Amino acid sequence: MTNPYVPLLILLALGFGFAALSVGTSLVVGPKRYNRAKAEAYECGIQPTPRAQGGGRVPIKYFLTAMLFIIFDVESVFLYPFAVAFNQLGLFALVEMVLFIITVFVAYAYVWKRGGLEWD
Amino acid sequence: MGDAAVTIGTGEQVMFWILAPIAVMASLGLVFARKAVHAALGMALTMIILGVFYIAQGADFLGVIQIFVYTGAVMMLFLFVIMLIGVDASDSLIETLKGQRWAAGLLVLGLGGILVSAVGSVTYGLSDGVAQTNTSKGNVPAMAELIFGRYVWVFEVTSALLITAALGAMVLAHRERLGKGPNQREWSRRRFEKGENLAGLPVPGVYARHNAVDTPALLPDGSISELSVSRVLSAREQTRSPLADLEAEDAIRAEIESGSER
Amino acid sequence: MTAFIAGPNGTADFSDTPLWLSVVKALFIFVYLLVSTLLVIWFERRVIGRMQQRPGPNRNGPFGLLQTLADGMKSMLKEDLKPANADSVVFTLAPLITATMCFVSFSIMPLAGDVTLFGHRTPLQLTDLPVAVLMVLAVAGVGIYGIVLAGWSSGSTYPLMGSLRATAQMVSYEIAMGLSLVSVFLYSGSMATSQIVQAQESLWHFIPACFAFFVYVVTMVGETNRLPFDLAEGEGEIVGGYFTEYSGMRFAMFFLGEYINMFTVAALATTMFLGGWQAPFGLPDNGWWGLLWFTAKLWFFMFVFVWLRGSLPRVRYDQFMRFGWKFLIPTTLLWVVAVAFYVAAKNNWFGGPILQIAGRDYSLAVLIVIGVCASLVIVASWILGDRAERRAAERLPQIPVEVDPFAGGYPVPPLPGQRLVEPGAADDAYAATKEVSRG
Repeated sequence: MTNPYVPLLILLALGFGFAALSVGTSLVVGPKRYNRAKAEAYECGIQPTPRAQGGGRVPIKYFLTAMLFIIFDVESVFLYPFAVAFNQLGLFALVEMVLFIITVFVAYAYVWKRGGLEWD
Repeated sequence: MGDAAVTIGTGEQVMFWILAPIAVMASLGLVFARKAVHAALGMALTMIILGVFYIAQGADFLGVIQIFVYTGAVMMLFLFVIMLIGVDASDSLIETLKGQRWAAGLLVLGLGGILVSAVGSVTYGLSDGVAQTNTSKGNVPAMAELIFGRYVWVFEVTSALLITAALGAMVLAHRERLGKGPNQREWSRRRFEKGENLAGLPVPGVYARHNAVDTPALLPDGSISELSVSRVLSAREQTRSPLADLEAEDAIRAEIESGSER
Repeated sequence: MTAFIAGPNGTADFSDTPLWLSVVKALFIFVYLLVSTLLVIWFERRVIGRMQQRPGPNRNGPFGLLQTLADGMKSMLKEDLKPANADSVVFTLAPLITATMCFVSFSIMPLAGDVTLFGHRTPLQLTDLPVAVLMVLAVAGVGIYGIVLAGWSSGSTYPLMGSLRATAQMVSYEIAMGLSLVSVFLYSGSMATSQIVQAQESLWHFIPACFAFFVYVVTMVGETNRLPFDLAEGEGEIVGGYFTEYSGMRFAMFFLGEYINMFTVAALATTMFLGGWQAPFGLPDNGWWGLLWFTAKLWFFMFVFVWLRGSLPRVRYDQFMRFGWKFLIPTTLLWVVAVAFYVAAKNNWFGGPILQIAGRDYSLAVLIVIGVCASLVIVASWILGDRAERRAAERLPQIPVEVDPFAGGYPVPPLPGQRLVEPGAADDAYAATKEVSRG
């Protein structure tokens, strides 16, 4: 009886080996004809727009999405053990969970009301 | 159950001595990397290895959650923030929060205290040991019992923390608009109500010699369509004329025709 | 039906599985996935071809079956370009992360029940964990790194925008996906895949968890960036999205990752909702038969993927996000609460009498919970539908009852609710205008 995570690591190693091998082989086998235009960033044929240091800036909207994602992620993390052990936990846990969900729903309703879920 | 905590399998030892140096190196990378994204990657790697350590010690749920929440969500937020503000090595390093070093030092001391007490309770056999809990109750149900039993108040307070997080995110990151601009829905509605360019603007030119967004397309009657190049490029005067391509194409066509007659 | 044997910590029994057998099984799954990928790309192109009334690839090998292999060989022999301002380490790392992580999730999928392999009795499943399904979600979370890093490291604008879009899309739909799985955990009381399959012995979960099944199917299309949700690679908007700058084998790795991820989410759907490897209608599913049923259900989902791609246009990004955040997440949370109440009532925690209807026992509390939920749904759909109808009526432009089809110079069909002017009448009207202009 081996540790149940060992087979998972074997598959991980197989996948990584396959990916590394095919990328490595193609780097060796494939042709290499240098051309300055090929090494430029692709912008549909025009001269590439110069890029800001550090990669430029992206809309702050994505930050809000990631933050909301964490909030709901944490909520679902509590839901998993609750769901698995529900039959042993009893009615009190259901009450607790409903309270918890309602509280998080308040946050959700606030974000919705302020327009945090709008994309344009 | 002090014994269960003391016996460590060889497999676990091997794994520890392989992964621990990688984790330390990744953490060092976090501190010393020149590019912010590399630092974040080092941190993500450290988080994953921590998760693997938890799993190796029998805390399946905790380990997977470590990877799920920290690597999958929190580090993703960090990456977004790094891309968001575009930080790199040339940014100023002046600390704007007063006394944050002292606060950090205090928190480190507190963390150290918690660690000492946790290790102590295992060493002196005050806790059950995760191996026994796994066999008697199962890892996840035992966890659930603690969350919804002994630590129920902490659990409910977490929801308040989540509300605070949502509030903070909205205050910091939500852009209030003064007036309401048209969104994509209204743009497309407007386009259909006007009845112009229903299928979008014409695409830029594709010629046998050249294909780029800075070259306008020709309409069926041979005239040049200014709509097919971006307004920005026109304003910057970065567009080029398709006439040279057409002349080259005509020359080739003439050559082919004269060739077929010969 | 096969007897289920449970191992320690609520997982499948691997006591008769030596390490070398695990290696064999890992190789088997690896080959299974690679062959399936080769087949599904051909399958997709052929089926899409049929839907668009053209033959699709039919030259290489019988029925064109070897087309994907030829394409793979071709990308192997192509030049692997790297843009000048790309971050070279991360640029290579990103496709490797994607191609590695996509395989891992399959290790916990039960492909069949207990089989005899080289004289050992072992479940046809690489491994089973008490947190197996969470592991899939965690691995998917790590897999997203491949996309973010690909976009960032390319040093180009389109890939960066594509990767941001893809990430925001995948994290948004991951929440709804995770929440939809909670109701399955509530029914089966475990996160180990073998136990979840076992819990569906009498009734597959897609019936009692019908709404969760619907949400899962929607989110699985969103998670794999497939049409109609392939906004991350919308060709008309951002070229190819996060892999615009990739070519050769590094690009092929993203391609491989996308298709194996499709198999992973489909396998999870099969295991969670469609009874895993169990056969319908009491057909044989012991031993290797299970693999047949599992594969058949997997390919059913593959066909759905292709079918969606063949028939639906791409949605707009704001529509996509609104659907995820404003519909899927709140309704799935409500569904989870409803299922929790249902299970509680079924466990008779609310007390109350037990009624006998048609020879079966029903607790009164169960009926009350179901009734309350159903009436809430009906009232909500009534109110919302009414509001939507009123809004639609307000938005509707005033359409003249009679229109002249040639008014704009082109013949146009009438809008709904319009009536064409009779040709004769139109001629009269035309003549009348002529008269007026002449006069």
